[in-house]
Amino acid sequence: MAIPNELRYTKSHEWIKEEDGVAVIGITDFAQNALGDVVFINLPEAGDEVVAGESFGDVESVKAVSDLLSPVSGIVQAVNEELIDAPEMLNSDPYGAWIIKVEQINDREELLDADDYEALCAEEG
Amino acid sequence: MSELKRTQLYNAHLAAGATMVDFGGWEMPIQYPSGIVAEHLYTRHFCSLFDVSHMGRLLIEGPARVAFLQHVLSSNVQALDINEAQYCIIPNAEGGAIDDAYLYRFEADRYLLVVNAANTEKDLVHLREQIKAFDCTLTDISADYASIAVQGPKSREMLEKLSGGVQLTELVKNALGTVEMEGRTVRLAKTGYTGEPLGYEVFIKSEDAEWMWNRLLELDARPAGLGARDTLRMEAMLPLYGHEMGVDAEGKEIPIFSVPLAKFAVSFAPQKGDFIGREPLARQYEAFQKIQNRIYEGTELLPRRMMPITLIDRGVMRKDMPIYRGEKLVGYVTSGTMVPYYVAEGEGMATAYTDETAKRALGLCLIDADIQTDDIVYVDIRGKRIKAVIPRFHMSVMAPPYARPILYTPPVQGKPADGTGYRAEALELIKKAAENHLWRQKQCINLIPSENTPSRAVQMLCASDPAFRYAEHKKIAAFYDNEVFYYQGTKFIEHVEELLVEQMRQYLGATEVETRVISGQMSNTAVFSSLMDFKNRNNRKVNPQRLGYILHNHIAKGGHLSAQPMGALHDYVAVDPVTERNAVVPFPVLPENHYKIDVEETKKVIDQYRPEFIVFGKSMVLHKEPVREIRQFVDQMGLQTTIMYDMAHVLGLVGDYFQKPFEEGAEIVTGSTHKTFFGPQRGIVGVNYKPEDLKWNLWKTIESRAFPGSVSNHHLGTQLGLLMAAYEMNTFKDEYQRNIIENAKHFAKCLKAEGLDVAGDPAISYTETHQVIVNVGYALGYDVAERLEANGIIVNYQATPEEESFTASGALRMGVSEMTRFGFTKDDFAKLASIMADCIVRGKDVTEEVRKLRSEHTEMKYCFNDEAFNETLGSLMGILGV
Repeated sequence: MAIPNELRYTKSHEWIKEEDGVAVIGITDFAQNALGDVVFINLPEAGDEVVAGESFGDVESVKAVSDLLSPVSGIVQAVNEELIDAPEMLNSDPYGAWIIKVEQINDREELLDADDYEALCAEEG
Repeated sequence: MSELKRTQLYNAHLAAGATMVDFGGWEMPIQYPSGIVAEHLYTRHFCSLFDVSHMGRLLIEGPARVAFLQHVLSSNVQALDINEAQYCIIPNAEGGAIDDAYLYRFEADRYLLVVNAANTEKDLVHLREQIKAFDCTLTDISADYASIAVQGPKSREMLEKLSGGVQLTELVKNALGTVEMEGRTVRLAKTGYTGEPLGYEVFIKSEDAEWMWNRLLELDARPAGLGARDTLRMEAMLPLYGHEMGVDAEGKEIPIFSVPLAKFAVSFAPQKGDFIGREPLARQYEAFQKIQNRIYEGTELLPRRMMPITLIDRGVMRKDMPIYRGEKLVGYVTSGTMVPYYVAEGEGMATAYTDETAKRALGLCLIDADIQTDDIVYVDIRGKRIKAVIPRFHMSVMAPPYARPILYTPPVQGKPADGTGYRAEALELIKKAAENHLWRQKQCINLIPSENTPSRAVQMLCASDPAFRYAEHKKIAAFYDNEVFYYQGTKFIEHVEELLVEQMRQYLGATEVETRVISGQMSNTAVFSSLMDFKNRNNRKVNPQRLGYILHNHIAKGGHLSAQPMGALHDYVAVDPVTERNAVVPFPVLPENHYKIDVEETKKVIDQYRPEFIVFGKSMVLHKEPVREIRQFVDQMGLQTTIMYDMAHVLGLVGDYFQKPFEEGAEIVTGSTHKTFFGPQRGIVGVNYKPEDLKWNLWKTIESRAFPGSVSNHHLGTQLGLLMAAYEMNTFKDEYQRNIIENAKHFAKCLKAEGLDVAGDPAISYTETHQVIVNVGYALGYDVAERLEANGIIVNYQATPEEESFTASGALRMGVSEMTRFGFTKDDFAKLASIMADCIVRGKDVTEEVRKLRSEHTEMKYCFNDEAFNETLGSLMGILGV
């Protein structure tokens, strides 16, 4: 299971990469594996407000629905529209298939580094 | 998870990398590494293995086994024959479901009941309490036997590899079989929970479970988990206990008749008697029937019913989501997810599946009884109302080998015609008709065995004036049974019919002939109607009884629609109160040759069923029918059984080279006059009854069921044409019939020599009729027939007795009659065999070869062709303006 070093992670299995005040957010390899085949995604729109620790959308696998929790508070700058027609990209390329980009960040969840996140996965796995 | 129970295949799942979950106390694979979507798709197009060993397997034995099962199950257990299974429900006293189950009868004296894993303990408590009152035993054999569901279009092929080609079961749903596979005894049921038209559930000793699982994996089956099992059954609209049965979203018990399958699973047959839940179920059934008639008063017992539902707008439905129409809550989703499918191209038989896949959000719901198919509703998905619709179904299982997804399309409104501008279309029609005539008559090689081309004289007579007239007539006793005609201007026509009757009487060797029926199927309908009338002649004050038992050729073994309950027997065949099915029984066929009736087995069937009516004849026909042997047996048994031979295909072969039906013991012969008999398209009924016979009145009834029973206008043009064809036949039949049989045998041998797989018995050169059947590979018949047509050769694609449906046709059915009539000799058929092999086996374009061979034979044989005859025919043509 891949856990890239350069990313930060939430306890609810989102990954986040911050650059120049913009946070790119997706779900981890562990998350996609646990979900199984992702068949549908509900996304916010650019300009929507997101709140750290709260849902900004959901992903549906064949089996169940899971909320997507935002690691940061801010304004949605962009959403990955490709995922609407091809949500399975979250399975095949979880770290390439970003979900939203957030700007004007004003709050953050507690984030884990790769080592701590790996430990968390080991515990849950 | 250490307390969870494990199946015999637990290690196999771990070896395959399964994700294991707790399912009703069992540690089961939810999915394997390829994932639910891939597993679903692989099942639909290839074959998947499901470990269903967690389900409860209960054996019921002992003298009162049937009485016990009738008492605790909803179904009619007595209707279950050996090697049959039935879906059933274990009802509670209130008409709800304790569980749903499948009952299997592999042996005469014991039944196997398979119940849901999570309910097994509950079921056992209930059943063990109930069985105390009955002299029989219930044994939980779940640990002794494993079960594997082998589901998908390749399942039969794979399992037959293990059986060494031995047939697994009959091809119909719910058939059972016991087969040796590589030294192990395997019990198979043609059942499953995926909706696959080809799918089996296999019962095998626990110690052999891994062997079977691994052997099937070696043959390219793949494992599929509970996740795919759920999406597959949802797409197939099969209920799941805990979702569509049991308790609903509001905590209320779901009545059994809310589920459409209840119609089949619940029986109120008199011999079933009282059973647990019968009374409330009978009340539910009353409500169910009202709802089917769109009456919603007094249907409180069934407020909601199970329907399929699919989303029009984007989203995914889940269990317990509320459904609204307007502001009114109308029901709840009971199951829902996103399901994948292969995208199809083309239409009808040319439908082909691409490698491209897509997904659709579908589910099942319990919804108000007044909601109908195509109604738009809204599903509340986490606070958002998402548009949805009730489709007719999600999928069709009726076109094997595939389960075919049906994507929702809204009903279309036809555009009214504007009624102008038809001259151009009329002109186009003439041109197209001319092209078609030329192609079918002079350019292509037609091998459809149910067709022929009538001579020019027959064609001209058919088009002459009687084609536009009426000539109703009836024998009137007051006039010494002379025919009375109801129309004027019919003297010529009257004479024609007299002559035709005489010619056909001579040809068939019949005492009486009815020629007014205008198709072979109508001939049969008139006879069936007459038989039923004859049966009820002594009591007209009650509803007439239908016919039964009837011994016939099953459609899957070459029988024709005109002797099937779904065809011409539909309104005349009884329902057997014991089996609650049509009172027909098929002729047993030889195990090594499904085209041939097994006479000895047939005698046993006659002894058991005492059929009142036996219908010989079929449309896929390679052999003579054993009329003489069966007549002897019926007489020996002292039965009054009526024996009919439907000679539709072989009417033109009556005589020395094939069969003489009346000499052999048939009482009634029906047929169509345009197959091997080369007349225009009509029907015929002949009988051998004489005025002093008991069944003479049956003949009188046949006449009246022809007119006024079947026709008012009996198509006088073709009746005139048929008289000419009858003159031709009675003049040329010896040569024609001999050549037909010789050509067919030679054609079959040449096709075989060219490397094609010719069906039938090589010892008789494969055929005793005009037909030749060639196997081209499972489900490939249509493609090959299309390819031949593109090259100018017209054949039927045909399902063999080993194939499930015409959509899975793997054979070509051919006849030599029309080409023989155009003068084809054995040498020509040898050439044709080689051309066809080039096209079928070697993939060559043979258009030119076909055109050349055909162009050498455009002159009709076996008809009058001398100068004087042609001169007179020419003057008729002049008058007709040809």
